[in-house]
This record gives sequence, C-alpha cells and structure tokens, in this order.
Amino acid sequence: MLLYISKRLFQGVFVVVGISILIFIISRVVPGDPARMALGPRAPQYAVDELRREMHLDKPLPVQYCYWFSGVIRGDFGKSINTKRPVMADVKEFLPATIELALFSGFLFIFFSIILGLLAARYRDTWVDGIIRALSYTGIAVPAFVVAVILMLLFGYVWPIIPVLGRLSSDITAPPVITGLITVDSLATGNFTAFFDALKHLLLPSLALAVGPLFQEARILRSSLTDNMGKEYISVATGYGISGSVIMRKYLLKPSFIPVVSVMGLDFASLMGNAFLVERIFNWPGISRYGINAMLNKDLNAISAVIVIFGAIFIVVNIIVDLIVASLDPRIRLGGK
Amino acid sequence: MRKNPLVRLTVLMLVFVLAVSLLLSGCGQKGNQNSSNQNQQNTAPKEKIIRVTVSGTPNLDPGVGQDYGSSTALANIYDSLVFPQNDGTLKPLLAEKWDVGSDNLTYTFYLRKGVKFHNGDELTADDVVFSMKRLLAIGEGFAYLFADVVKDVTAVDQYTVKFTLNKPFGPFVETLVRLYILNKDQVMQNINKNGQYGEMGDYGREWLITHDAGSGPYMVKELKQQGYLYAVRFDDYWGGWDNDAPDAFKLIDTTEGATVRTLMNNRELEITDQWQTTENINAMSKIPGVSICSNFSGTMLNIMLNTKKAPTDDVNFRKALSCVFDYDSIIKLFPDSIQAKGPVPHDLPGFDPEVYQYKQDFEKAKEYLQKSKYADSLDQYPVDLLWVSDVPDEEKIALSFQAAAQQVGIKINIVKAPWISVVDMLSKIESTPNGTIIFVSPHYNEAGSMLESRYHSKSTGTWEQAEWLQNKEIDAMIEDALSTIDKKQRFEKYKKIQNVIVNDITPTIWVLDQAERRAYQSDYVYWPGAELAKQGKPITTIMGYNFYFHDFKIYPEKMKK
Repeated sequence: MLLYISKRLFQGVFVVVGISILIFIISRVVPGDPARMALGPRAPQYAVDELRREMHLDKPLPVQYCYWFSGVIRGDFGKSINTKRPVMADVKEFLPATIELALFSGFLFIFFSIILGLLAARYRDTWVDGIIRALSYTGIAVPAFVVAVILMLLFGYVWPIIPVLGRLSSDITAPPVITGLITVDSLATGNFTAFFDALKHLLLPSLALAVGPLFQEARILRSSLTDNMGKEYISVATGYGISGSVIMRKYLLKPSFIPVVSVMGLDFASLMGNAFLVERIFNWPGISRYGINAMLNKDLNAISAVIVIFGAIFIVVNIIVDLIVASLDPRIRLGGK
Repeated sequence: MRKNPLVRLTVLMLVFVLAVSLLLSGCGQKGNQNSSNQNQQNTAPKEKIIRVTVSGTPNLDPGVGQDYGSSTALANIYDSLVFPQNDGTLKPLLAEKWDVGSDNLTYTFYLRKGVKFHNGDELTADDVVFSMKRLLAIGEGFAYLFADVVKDVTAVDQYTVKFTLNKPFGPFVETLVRLYILNKDQVMQNINKNGQYGEMGDYGREWLITHDAGSGPYMVKELKQQGYLYAVRFDDYWGGWDNDAPDAFKLIDTTEGATVRTLMNNRELEITDQWQTTENINAMSKIPGVSICSNFSGTMLNIMLNTKKAPTDDVNFRKALSCVFDYDSIIKLFPDSIQAKGPVPHDLPGFDPEVYQYKQDFEKAKEYLQKSKYADSLDQYPVDLLWVSDVPDEEKIALSFQAAAQQVGIKINIVKAPWISVVDMLSKIESTPNGTIIFVSPHYNEAGSMLESRYHSKSTGTWEQAEWLQNKEIDAMIEDALSTIDKKQRFEKYKKIQNVIVNDITPTIWVLDQAERRAYQSDYVYWPGAELAKQGKPITTIMGYNFYFHDFKIYPEKMKK
C-alpha cells in the first residue's frame, strides 16, 4: 500500500506541475496589466515599472514561470498585490479556515446522507422514501449560496440565535494558532468558550455547503442499496433466515458504499473551491473567497497558489478515496494487475 | 429486544439535533455571556463602537492605501497637516499656519507643538519630511498627487518644514490632506532590511500592513485580512475627546446584502457601505431606529465618448447623443441623485453652476445629426456602447440609451465586459469603444482634480479618460489653472474650461451626480455628516472624511429594544 501511495503521490506531482503551467499561462494572457490594476490609474509610471520588475512581468513568460516555480520549491509563492504580503502568509491564514469549514460540512453531509440514504432504501416506495426524494430534489437543485442566504435570514434575522459573521465572536479570545483550525486549537488549549463559539459560527456556513452533497449522496446510496438488495446473494441470505438488520450491516452496506464514497471524495474536494459565495455571505476568511478576489483583481501569484493548492487537495483526497474503496471492495487491488 | 432500524436512525438524528440545540442554548458560555447577548440581540454593546461595512480589507499603510476603506482608516489613524471641512475649505491640523514663498514654489508649514504619536513620541518636522519622502519613494497610494509636484522637502527646525515644488501648483495645500504623518523612528525600528529601498529596507511596508505609526484619534488594535480592521481610541490624542465619542471603530470587510441587512437588524452594525441595492436600503429603512443618509460625495456617472473613433469623432454627433439620452428615467434608478451639469460634480469647489446642461430633446438631436458628417450614413456607423458587468445597473442605462437613440436613427450595439477587461480595452484608442459607462470621482477637493484626471492628455489610456481628447488647448488651460495660486482666479479658469468642454467639445454625456446612500442606526449614533445632509448642507467630498469618528457621538442606552 505504501508503494501505491508513493506512486500516486509521485504522479500527483506531475499533475500539479501541469496545472501550474496551465494556470500560469491562462492568468497571464487574460487582459489587464496587474501592476497598473494594483496601483490605480494615476500611479506614477516609475511605481508601476518597479512593481512589474518586482513581479518579473518584464521578462518572457517561460522566464517568469522559472522564477515562480523556483520560488514555489522554496515555499515562496511570491507577493499578493491585493493584501501586499507574501501569498504564503495569506494561505497559512485562510486555508485552515476553509479546511475547518469543509471538514465540518463533510461531517454533516456524510452523517446525514448515510442516515437518509438508509432510511430511503429501507422504506423504499413508502411515504418516508417519498419525503426524502422530494427533499433531495430540492436540496440538489438549490445552490449553496441560496441556502446560505435562507439560513442567514432564518437564524440571523427572523430568529437571531446563531452568529452570522466570521469565525469567532469579537469578545472571545482566539486560541493560539497551532493548526489554524479554531475548534481544534481551542480544544487543544482547553479553551472551551472559544470552542463552542467557533462551533456556533461554523454551523450555518457548513450546513449551507452540506445541503447539496448531502441529498445527492443520500440518493446515490439509496439507489446503490436498492440495486444490491435485488441481488441473488441477498435472497440467499434472506432464505437462510438471516435477519434484515444483519443482512444490511454485513452484506449490503459495504458494497453499496463504494459509489457513494467516490462521490463523497469529489464533493469534499469541490467544497473547498466552491465555497466562495458562502464564505462571502458569512464573511468567512477562507481560501476560496481569497481565490475569487485574486481572480477579480488579477492577483497573479495568489491565483496560481490557490489553484495549485486546490489541485494538490484534489489529488490527496482522491488517493484517500481510492484507499477507502479498496478497503471496502477486496476485488480492487491497489496498483495490482 | 430488537429495535426497528428506523427508530435507531431517528434516535441518532435526534441526538445530533439535541447536541446542536445544547450548543446553541449556551454550552460553554461561562465567559461568553456578552457574546451570546449580542447574538440574542437588542442589548447595548459592551463598548461604544461604530461598525461600518466596507468593500475590501483596509490598507493601513499611508504610502499604499487609497480605496474607500483605506481612506477611512487613514483619516482616523493618522493626522495630516491640514484637514478638510464640510464646506470645502481647509482648517489647520498638525500645521498651525503656513506661508507661501513669493516664487509660489516654496511652502513653509509651522507645526503644532506637543503632538504625540500613539507610542508617546513627539511629532516633529523630521517625521513630516520622512512621510513625504517615503510616499514618493514607494509611489503607490496617494503619491500621484505629489509625484510631479514636490521637488524637495526639508526640516527647517524641529517644528518647521519647507516644501519646494517643481512648478507652481495652486491646489497644493488641498492635496496635503492626503499626506499622513508617520512616526519616523518607530517605522525605522520595524523595517525589513532586505527591502527594495536601499538603506531604508522595505520602508516598514511589511510592518505597516497590520500596525500603525500615527498620531490620529484612533490606533490599530487588530487587522484581519478578509475580516475587519478594529481600532480603539487614543486617549492622549492632542485634539481631546468628547464624553460621547466612540471608544472604537470597526471596518468590516463585507458588502453582501443579506449579511449587512442581518447585522443592521441585530444592531451589530451601525453604518452600511454605499454599495447596497436600493431594495436593500429601502428594506433597512423600515427597521426601527434605522435611517438613511443620502449625500453627494463627488462621484459622477459619465458616458465617455471616444473622440477619435467614428462616428463619435464628430462633435455634432456627440451633441446629438447628449440630446437623445433619457436623463430623467436614469436618475430614478439612483435615488436622491441629480442630473450632472458638465464635467465637475456640483458640490466640488470650482464648479460652474451656469454651465450648459443637456436635456432629452429629439428635435435638437436631429438638428445636430443633420450638421454631422454622418447624417446620411447613420446605418453604417453603429455606436458601440460598453458597460461594466460588475455594475448591473449600468445595463439598464445602456438599454435605455439604445432605445432612445433608435428614435433618431442611431443604432447602438451594447457590449459588456468585466472591469478587468474594461481597463485593458480603454488602454488603446482602437479598442476603446464609442461609448463607455463609468463612474468617476475627484482625487482632491477642487474642480481642477476632475478636469485634470478626466480631460488632460496625461490620463489618456487609463479608465479615467476613454474620450482620448488629446486636446493641446485644453491641456494648456488645465495646466494654467492648476498653476494659478490665487484661488479666485483659479476657480474662474476652472469655470472657463468647463464651458469650453461642454459647449465646444462635448466629449462626454454627463449623466448624474450620484448620491451615496447608507443605512445607519440613527437612534443611538450621532453622525455629523448625516445631520448636515438632513439639513441640505454640503458634506466633504474627500473620501473617508465623512467617517471621522472622533466627531461622532454614540449613545448605547438609546438603542431601540
């Protein structure tokens, strides 16, 4: 397995390099001088030229890429023209916020999709299945940002019981940064006040992000379960008098989870990139919002860094998903022939 | 006993929901009472704070920041030599008085003694010299106001500083509101020696992203990128304090409609940003205790006509377009705004109220078209009209213009592009469309600022001038006016330029002077600018100074339940 992981990670490096070349070219050929955009229309030409030199924009594209890539190897993504500080400092601050959001959201959609999927399959073609189906169509069709606005209006405006801004209330002392995930850091330092406050702040944005994947995966799980329920080995097991719950636990769940896990992995990785509107609505200082702002302001270094990081996250999540799938299905041999 | 799986799953879900309920109902709230109360709403905040939403995290470095949020932060954290007043005049701030040399090239400022920086150091002439040199060396932010003007700056003695100019520049003192004075010693103690400015290292740029070195009424407590700027009052401020002045202010980086509305409803926000939709502003005005402040800030909506591209290269064609535009309908889209009169906003000192104002008049438009060289070939010369897709209201303007122009036989092709592409398109004559819908603002509090940035040849190729006027006569008139020291004479020259541009050239359709509309908590916040606006009096057009929080008052006990 270690060999398999190493191989996949090695392949992943080439994918990330490929992504970086692609995004580097795309971000530089779209119209607009980033130096002029950063400094404004009236900035003296010497300042614009200086910034262009600093960003190596006066050099040919391949040379620019070499400068950039050599920096990345040293862990230096360059400077953001938007925040005026090293992109790596921005990433260190914003990435944990989005990871925390995605993890909590992932927990919500995995937990509830399994429950709803099981209920819908167990009681297929009954009113329970009908309700879950109706909810699923609605949940899948409504975009996350609409859910976010609805949740905000419900729990922030009409019935204001949940904070709607940022990661922590202003009068709560933030825990020292260990992982950057406030819930984890506050638990690690025994700051339970901050922990519960951070959880409250997480609730609405993560729920907004979780609704779509939750119902999608509930539907997939239901389909997968009902497919497998019709298979002969289940009939045999039933014929032997094995109870329904044992059949479900021992013989149905494992194979039925395989398609769901793959989609869950993709959904989880997509959450990170697609969270920008939800992050914006809840003023969540995450990397997704940072990436969109970078694109709108042609912040070249920030754009490249965010895309490369998302690419790397996709690769890692996919490797994890493959490992889980292999553990669920013994017929799948990692890296075997 | 065997349990039904449905029961088990339902129990599991209930347990989860119960856990969430417990979380919401106050687990871990020992030290969290106040936060909870704030979230439960309608209780007085712990401190007297003014919270305002802004677009983007403010940039605290006086050598770099220049957008709305940054300007607001800088005006409150730093002091300048002079301070803009609401009537358009200046009052001394750090400078007690100043002299202008007989050559009109030297300005000597006499500083107030005993002014303390936030770290307790005394502010001296050396700090002023350092601040100007730093601003020019970095070249960002408001450096453009001084880059071509200031030749040298020296400290004559501890409290006297002398500026030498390259050329006479009438509004020089007006521009000094944007020279924010930094504590030289404190900045130099925090430089990164590996910076690009030689012995000055990085000139403290890295440190000043999250810290301040100012002497203003407020000092930086915390800055969170993509979050907020939180600043608290400087108790030793030389200007003193009113008992009801805010203890702190917070600029929150969000303009999201639902978020802003929720925060206003929950009394977690005192003043909104100016980017809220009319619908949202109207909805917030219905919240008890919330009022709308509507004021002019010098922003204008213009349709810039490319004077070097057919058919808008013909002055009569441009005049015909000006007579076709439906001003009245468009003004209704921007509540409280008024039709513009020429190239200068009506509230900017140096504006000529007598300048000609175009109205929708199809007969007149046809007359101008007849005089145009394109009279017989209108169908061959459609007008490309560009609107910025980031500002959805501009589409309505484009569609209205298109419909009106059809009535006199002019065909308008509507094109939209994101701001990033618009800036690029306007950088070349060939790619600049016939018409571009853009909002513009002055850089300092005089008509000369607008005239120079909009019509002087040096601004061609930037988004501030899609007209490509390149008119040497106009350039000379603007330069002459700006170099006139006598204010009365200078203003007369501004007026003459406005008339020439409107009557003889008509390079622009001046649509409206935009009113900035914000919702604010009028029941417990005294906002001097809003009070003046209510009385129909002018408010400073210098960006950020309408939020000089030192002059605000806040009464948390008056907050509506």
